[in-house]
Amino acid sequence: MNRPTVTRRQGLAIGAILFGLLLVGFVIDGGRALLGDVAGVISASYFAAVFRFTVPIAFAAMGGIFAEKTGVINIGLEGLLIIGAFSAVAALWGLSATPVGANIWVAFLLAVLASTLVALLFATVCIDFKADQIIAGLAIWLIALGFAPFASIIIWDRTNSPSVGTFPVWEVPVLADLPTVGPLFSATLPVFLLVLAVPFSWYLLNRTTFGKWVEASGEDPKSLDTAGVDVRRIRYAGVLLSGVYCGIGGAGLALNTGQFVGSGDTMVDGRGWIGLTAYLIGNYNPIGAFLASFLFAALDALQLQLQQIAGFEVSSTLVGIIPYVAVVIVLTFVGRTRMPSAAGEHYESDE
Amino acid sequence: MSAGRDRVEATLDRLVDASVLERLQISLAALVFAIIVGAVLVFVSGLIVDCPDPFLSLPGVGGACYNPFEVYWTMITGSFGSLTALGRTLQETTLLLFTGLSVAVAFRAGLFNIGTQGQMILGALGAALTALWLGELVPESLLGALIVIPAGVVVGAVIGGLWGMLPGLMKAYADAHEVITTIMLNFIAMGIAFWLVQNHVGNLESDSVLTHTIPDVAQLSPTIGGTRFSLWALLAALAAAIGIYVLYDRTILGYELRTSGLQEAAAEYGGVNAKRNIVTSMTLSGALGGIAGSIYVLMVQYRWQDGIPPLGFDGIAVSILAGNNPIGVIPAAVLFGAMQSGSVALNLTLGVPPELVEVLRGLIILFIAMPEFFRMIGKRYGYGSDPLATDGGENV
Repeated sequence: MNRPTVTRRQGLAIGAILFGLLLVGFVIDGGRALLGDVAGVISASYFAAVFRFTVPIAFAAMGGIFAEKTGVINIGLEGLLIIGAFSAVAALWGLSATPVGANIWVAFLLAVLASTLVALLFATVCIDFKADQIIAGLAIWLIALGFAPFASIIIWDRTNSPSVGTFPVWEVPVLADLPTVGPLFSATLPVFLLVLAVPFSWYLLNRTTFGKWVEASGEDPKSLDTAGVDVRRIRYAGVLLSGVYCGIGGAGLALNTGQFVGSGDTMVDGRGWIGLTAYLIGNYNPIGAFLASFLFAALDALQLQLQQIAGFEVSSTLVGIIPYVAVVIVLTFVGRTRMPSAAGEHYESDE
Repeated sequence: MSAGRDRVEATLDRLVDASVLERLQISLAALVFAIIVGAVLVFVSGLIVDCPDPFLSLPGVGGACYNPFEVYWTMITGSFGSLTALGRTLQETTLLLFTGLSVAVAFRAGLFNIGTQGQMILGALGAALTALWLGELVPESLLGALIVIPAGVVVGAVIGGLWGMLPGLMKAYADAHEVITTIMLNFIAMGIAFWLVQNHVGNLESDSVLTHTIPDVAQLSPTIGGTRFSLWALLAALAAAIGIYVLYDRTILGYELRTSGLQEAAAEYGGVNAKRNIVTSMTLSGALGGIAGSIYVLMVQYRWQDGIPPLGFDGIAVSILAGNNPIGVIPAAVLFGAMQSGSVALNLTLGVPPELVEVLRGLIILFIAMPEFFRMIGKRYGYGSDPLATDGGENV
């Protein structure tokens, strides 16, 4: 079985692209002084921010990997993130009126549940009702994009929620007190979950029986069926996992901010799509996907920090499109990332 | 990879080739189901909202503020009930005809162009800049309008076409899946247009991201007072629909365009340059998206402004509802146009958030995506017996 890896050629190409884009940035927005400021921005607290920024992107990316590897292309990641973000805030806000109280952990779990239920709907539609996966995924995105602001207006009378509270910051004992790198070790739950989820996902895919089933379900469902494993079940599992991951990502995003923003493209603002680019660039490997997500988040955070240093005209818009440009270039010039061969296709058991 | 792609295309094939009658049934059934789910959503929302006089009081639950029947009735009267309402509906219809045709043209060739939105945004910018520049040079007369308006449309079409050509080239020569590339190119188009207008070609004095207003001579004057609807634009859109129908269903070129996307290898075997035809289809699709953007600027907004409505995504819904048939796009565009203008009335008179229409749009797409669902229901309730047509996912 073909284990996807990022080839050297791909790695080089990505590096060259990003270097080229940075160079273009220098020429367009001017100033060698920028370099000095970039160096000044980079610190442990900067990386702590990058980790926070990575949460929704990397979780969406890893979720997308699980779904697509089983053979169901989940293009609705963005929609699932929106559902996760909205449900987290709505749940926390709603809980305060119940005996449970405004418990952020319960709200977090409810958000993951909500996103997973929507993923279940998507799975049923794709697997049992044999819907076209691309169109159904698009529908999930569009429904979420309309539903979240709709429900926000119903609940809060406007598209943005009031502040509901954020995750407490946890400090790793001893490590958080270290000089220089200390800030890296005080973070919120979603960041710690991310650090655990990356190796966990890699292990699950590459070292377990379940991982082999996932691979087979996307590559050669017929053989998997012959081996007595229910392809349908595996595909459900893959899509539901993407729901769980996107729920964590979306809720993590919203509960780190403490508010749901539903105007425009909502607060998720394309992070699900960037997650999609991240796993394509990472070639369906959770670690590669995480690294790509981290890189995009780092650029975003850098741009934000530079924005705050007065006198700099780094276009946040141009920095914002780097992930999309990168994935288009990778898909076009570096060759195809290895899509599972049965992805997008329905499987009919002969039993 | 290529085996996988063939299968993806086989799926598209199935979608494209279903019989017209079946498509019509599925579209109508999807519409009905979306309306029902929408009604439930509205009713439940009405339970959460506070209002002085609920139309229905449920003991233990509270008052229901939104009556689904009243909601849909308001949408109908709000879209057809007066001349102004009709004008607003037709204004949206005109734009949706172009974006719907853009998606349909690609779909007919087995290509899924999700990039109409980006093609439209760049086309709109091209048209706005052309109108601003040329509008100063031509005389303030009908002659001037006859020069500057077509010029704006052509520039929009060319820019949209080039932007659509990109994913076509990537698909034909680099085997990059057009679904992914067109989605990504939407974001890139948006970013480029935003950056250009914000920093270079826009009204730099304004705090908002927008261009200057185009001169009067470049504006398509409204046919119905109080609206931004021009009959000429609608006629052009209808002509485009008929033209595309004729092109795809009555000419050899159209036949080749269709087969090239659906069965590249077979078309090549038959002596057709399939790769070039894939590029042609995507370019044509992009040009139609660009024209939609031009018309939006020349007829509705009179400038490029950040926050262009998602007409390109509505176009996907229009095309899918129409079974990707250029003639079918006409009633589908009227329907979605009516939903858009109806949602304005809905918000004004009943206070229901206009985003309801976006939810309905998504639901319609979702239901149409699963014809099997309706076949199962048909089997279960129409014919009674089919052991396969049961379980809805108990295996979780």
